[in-house]
Amino acid sequence: MQEPRSEAKRGTPGPRATATGGVPAAFEEAYLQFGPRLRKIAMRKFRIPEHDAETIVHDVFTTYLMHMHAVNALEPYLIGAICNASRYYWRRADAAEAVFCTEQPCAATPDNALVEEIERKLILSRILGRIGTRCRDLLHRYYMNGDTTAAIADSLRLKQATIPVFLHKCRRRALGAYRSMSETT
Amino acid sequence: MEEHIPESELLLFAFDPNAVRQDRQRAIVEHVEQCAKCRADLDFYAVAEDDLSDADVWEPVVGSATLETLRAYAARIAAEDEEADELLAPLFSSPDTDIWKHIGNRQRFLTGGVVRRLSAHAHGICENEPLDAMTFADAAIAVAESLADDRYPGRAVFELRGTAWKERANAQLHLGQFSGALESLSRAEVAYRRLTSPALGLATVALVRASVFYQQQRLDEAATMAEEAERGFAHLGDNERRMRAIYLRGGVRYEAQDLPAAMALFRQVIAYGEEGHDAMWIARASYALGNCEVDSGDLAEASMHFHSALTIFRELGPATERICTEWGIARVFLQNGKINEGIGRLREVEIEFESRGMVTDAALAALDAADALLALGQSKQLVELASRLFRVFMDAEMVTGALTAMAYIKDAAADARLTPEGIDTVRKYLRRSERQPDLLFLPPQNPS
Repeated sequence: MQEPRSEAKRGTPGPRATATGGVPAAFEEAYLQFGPRLRKIAMRKFRIPEHDAETIVHDVFTTYLMHMHAVNALEPYLIGAICNASRYYWRRADAAEAVFCTEQPCAATPDNALVEEIERKLILSRILGRIGTRCRDLLHRYYMNGDTTAAIADSLRLKQATIPVFLHKCRRRALGAYRSMSETT
Repeated sequence: MEEHIPESELLLFAFDPNAVRQDRQRAIVEHVEQCAKCRADLDFYAVAEDDLSDADVWEPVVGSATLETLRAYAARIAAEDEEADELLAPLFSSPDTDIWKHIGNRQRFLTGGVVRRLSAHAHGICENEPLDAMTFADAAIAVAESLADDRYPGRAVFELRGTAWKERANAQLHLGQFSGALESLSRAEVAYRRLTSPALGLATVALVRASVFYQQQRLDEAATMAEEAERGFAHLGDNERRMRAIYLRGGVRYEAQDLPAAMALFRQVIAYGEEGHDAMWIARASYALGNCEVDSGDLAEASMHFHSALTIFRELGPATERICTEWGIARVFLQNGKINEGIGRLREVEIEFESRGMVTDAALAALDAADALLALGQSKQLVELASRLFRVFMDAEMVTGALTAMAYIKDAAADARLTPEGIDTVRKYLRRSERQPDLLFLPPQNPS
């Protein structure tokens, strides 16, 4: 009988690349799409502390970039990779010996709630990209950095009472962007 | 129903329901149950309040340290690849040049881009030009091993080293250097295991290792490795590579003459081809299934599978796989008792292989015809066939054990001492010698 073909006997697809930015752009797109998901899997499913999860996700992507042309299915590849990396992190008893995850389903498989959360946050990220720099900065300082309205007012040389108004307007602008995105989709 | 809830009130309510008066809390709850618009707005505000505190939400718009690092890393890799393309493109046509031996000492070649390009080139040519592939894989190894361990973030240099060693193993597999291939695979595995996420590399190592064991006829080990590769690729959702592992598992089971298991595996491959509309997998697995059916004696099924494969190979190629399938059909004729028709078809197969310089395959097809002629007692035709085979190997300047094997067939046929066992010995030898050119031919001990 004709021999089975070896790993070497088939070509590999070329690197995925966007029309404008080539491999770096495609890589960045992959990171922005899946990076948050991998972080959440590492933190929630494998209980890895936030800072270490960040490092693990970083390492998963550095390895991916080295052989991105050889990856046939990006999402499951990355989820499999974060599973392996997380198991390696905890140095589970079998991690050094077992090459692959044997759990069924794989512990890294994201559940519906996680997938929905990620999708929702991706939409919110897109909304934030549409509300203008001033609003974005304001919301970022207030929600992400945890700056008080007094601190924000001080740095902007405004009265403290105006900051909640601005925040309100920016949220409204975000809602407008959300509605307009909903209509176009 | 009252007018829509004012946005400012909805916003306040979403932030903290107790921040609005109790009577308004009730009114808002009742209203949003009825009003889709206000419900959607409230949902948006409620969700946004929490989600806006998540760094992941902000990363695409304001960036992050990780994003910046990876962005710079990606740009560096792209620049390295571009530079490697310029450096290597003019050199790839000269595998004999000395530069490959000393590449580890040439500073401007010492980049990850050069390793990637050399490994990729070796991969691309290893089937048809394994010796050259080995040269390029060795050059890739020399460069990869000379890079500092911390040259790239995330220990990524070990991905480069693992892949370079894996390509050397691939070349060695095609050169029949099986022990060397296993050593190279061990080196690849050691390198891959240093990565945080080594699964793709390790699954690939398992697959190549399975192929080596298969070639060595170490079928149990081949089966174990192929299963491991299959598990690894399944975990990564890489169905294409998983099919290669399953196909190899089928081949291993076939070699072990475990036909039911082999057929089940090949049927899995056909199902995958049918689901994904991948005609080549359907063709390959149909061909393999045809061989299983011939051996199990179900000639009608065999014929059906071979013809399924043939239709696709005729349309899409490759020619060699089409010829192999025609060979399978010829075997069906022989088994069916249509000896002359079968022999005629085998002769056509033999001619096609010869015209492509594939003399070993031509000889293997001719040996099937020899079996039939022997059974029919047509010694004159048998002697002619054996003499022809010997001439073909002489003309092809094959001075290896294969020529000795052909000489044995010719002499044994001429002396009327050729047996089915003798033919089978030569057949097995030829199949192995393709992968192990230095293999010696030992004639059967007690030819009757």
